[in-house]
Amino acid sequence: MDEILFFVAGIAAIVAAAGTVFLRNPFYAVLSLVVHLLSLSMLFLLLYAQFVAVVQVMVYVGAVMVLYVFVNAYVGGGSEPEGGGGPSLRMFSYAIAITLIVTIGIAVLGTGLQAIDGSGPDDIPASFGSPGEIGKLLLTKFLLPFEAASFLLLVAAIGAVVLARRRRGVLPGEERMVAALDLLAPTGTGSMREGVGAINPTPGGFSARITPSTGAGTLPASDDRTGDDSEGGSR
Amino acid sequence: MSTLAVTEAPHIDWAGISSLIALFGGAVVVLLVGLLRARFARLTLVPVLTIVAFAASIGLAIWQWDEDTSLMSGALGLDPLAMIGVVGIGVAGIAAVLLSIGATAPREAAHGEYHAMMLVAAAGGAMFVGAENLITTFIGLELLSIPLYVLAATELHRRRSLESGLKYLIVGSVGSATLLYGFALIFGATGSLDYAAIADQVAAKGLGDDPLMLGGVAMVVVGLAFKSSVAPFHQWTPDVYEGAPTPVTAFMATATKVAALIAFLRLFDGALIGASDAWGPALAALASIAIIVGNVGALGQSSMKRLLAFSSIAQAGYMLVGVVVATKLGVQATVFYVLTYVVMTAAAFAVIEAAERESGHDGISALAGLGRRRPLHAIALTLSMLGLAGVPATVGFVAKLRIVQAAVDGDYSWLAIVLVVGSMISFVYYLRVVARLWTDEPAGVAVAPQSQAVEVEAPEAVATTTAVADPKGLPAAAVPGGGAVVVTGATILPMTVLAVVAGAAIVVLGVIPGPLMTVVEDVARAVPELFR
Repeated sequence: MDEILFFVAGIAAIVAAAGTVFLRNPFYAVLSLVVHLLSLSMLFLLLYAQFVAVVQVMVYVGAVMVLYVFVNAYVGGGSEPEGGGGPSLRMFSYAIAITLIVTIGIAVLGTGLQAIDGSGPDDIPASFGSPGEIGKLLLTKFLLPFEAASFLLLVAAIGAVVLARRRRGVLPGEERMVAALDLLAPTGTGSMREGVGAINPTPGGFSARITPSTGAGTLPASDDRTGDDSEGGSR
Repeated sequence: MSTLAVTEAPHIDWAGISSLIALFGGAVVVLLVGLLRARFARLTLVPVLTIVAFAASIGLAIWQWDEDTSLMSGALGLDPLAMIGVVGIGVAGIAAVLLSIGATAPREAAHGEYHAMMLVAAAGGAMFVGAENLITTFIGLELLSIPLYVLAATELHRRRSLESGLKYLIVGSVGSATLLYGFALIFGATGSLDYAAIADQVAAKGLGDDPLMLGGVAMVVVGLAFKSSVAPFHQWTPDVYEGAPTPVTAFMATATKVAALIAFLRLFDGALIGASDAWGPALAALASIAIIVGNVGALGQSSMKRLLAFSSIAQAGYMLVGVVVATKLGVQATVFYVLTYVVMTAAAFAVIEAAERESGHDGISALAGLGRRRPLHAIALTLSMLGLAGVPATVGFVAKLRIVQAAVDGDYSWLAIVLVVGSMISFVYYLRVVARLWTDEPAGVAVAPQSQAVEVEAPEAVATTTAVADPKGLPAAAVPGGGAVVVTGATILPMTVLAVVAGAAIVVLGVIPGPLMTVVEDVARAVPELFR
């Protein structure tokens, strides 16, 4: 039974992973990735890791993949870009891929197949892979990596904010101050152009920092940038 | 009601882990201070606090120097090798913060976020160099890499910067994934995640020629080679170095190198020493390819950052030689080299950043005639180039001598010959830079000493004509609407300070290398598996 499940799940995982790479339609590629992740969770079950399997389904298939599908539905669908790269680059990538396949193939065929014949380890306690055991490991043996992983999430969030927030005022004429309150502050206060010293090089006594009212400046062509965060703007 | 299961919490040696906590805590403090409204807090307090955090981490690492144990149930090693890594990364971090003063990148990313990401990256590096467990290694690597992907793209208005971040992200992810796969195979072969247990298993079961084990080792080599830009896996390096903001490039070049090389030492000369017959020749081949490719590739470069990128590939090859020989001498030589590399590279990037602020580009022509305009910068860059080339009386010579000594001592004489030949090639491009500094008079380069406008590439949002970096360096800000213009405050005092300090260190350590060498000799305690 185990062997059949292993081969079904394993083959499905590989085929779906290949489909993710090769399918041209991004929507199908995401769906293929879902199948891949489901197959992986089945493999986790075979490895006595029930908790990881459930988390895999809930987090990846349930949440992350839904996000992918949404993003696809919103922005995808256009003409897919043709892959560039010269012939030498392509040959190089083939060479790397073949080397990887050979390496993994030797490793897996060398030892992995022998293990399929066996009946697996006998002395696995029922609690192995349970949430309790995993929690215990995370708080004892792997406490430091666990805490560091939370910093990893924090810094990933910071990075996403930094990259997504295009601060205004880099370009001449981009800042606009029209709200009545803004008359108290010189033009461009709080914009990035001020940040880099292009305007208001030395903030005088009257240049108190005043938050421009949200939606103050609307550029004719780019409405989506309204209320964009600017330095000292809407913090 | 069932009683709660009683689990004993692991013992936490707060003193031992203090240098790591200084970096993490500093990141949180800097992030919060960056939210303050006052300009003083953002522009001055944040960099100062960042430097304080780095300095505290260095100080705490020196305080814990004599310890020789492992922390948090074997997750992190507390030994001179880890501590010297923390010191090296801290020095690299302080240099990068100095270079960031007045730069455009922190302004675009916001100061708090920028410096916090730098501190978290350093903390990741500190975990990476101290890791004694495959999980800690991987988390440390990701903690080091992910902030760097973002930092490389922080000059958002510049397309090259975004491209650099994207390239680094994709190639870095491939490297990380390969490394993780290798770790999984090693775990499968040995059944253990701890370095010490892996070494025991390899020795006990004779796993030196086990296919699963060797597959894992091969993939770990590839993953780490991606990270430390060793030759066949170096293609990303020149583009990323060139596109990223110069302070970030400096941090990437120095801190990542320290972390990756020390991780190489700890993993290969510690955990995998039993399989050294298998990985020794492979790493030796990689090192020689890196030396050749890096040095030959640097010959035709006209951008200083690209030149230093290729130079860093070659230098990674030199440092790898100390890993390959798997002797105590080799470990000491690599650690000594990586520390001196931080000093020499910091000096070079300080001068490049200053020249970039004056001329708007990092081509070698920006340095022409620097000897007359800014003698201090020119002297520092000269010393740095001579040091990287390995001229006697600079610290680079001592470092290279140690590596050659280790190679010959470890029966890798042919590798020493490759190294020397590579160094000879490297003189061509290092000396060309030096010649440019001192002989050429700038032709038509009118450089305003004070605050000046520098024209940069047109951002993608604007459909105006592409602004080519103006060769005449005219103040383009006077022309309204003439493409994107970023005015730099042109503070170059921090760069001068850094260049002078690093340049002096190159000479002083080159003439009196004794003290640093004594310090480095301690690191052999961390790799007890090596007997020679």
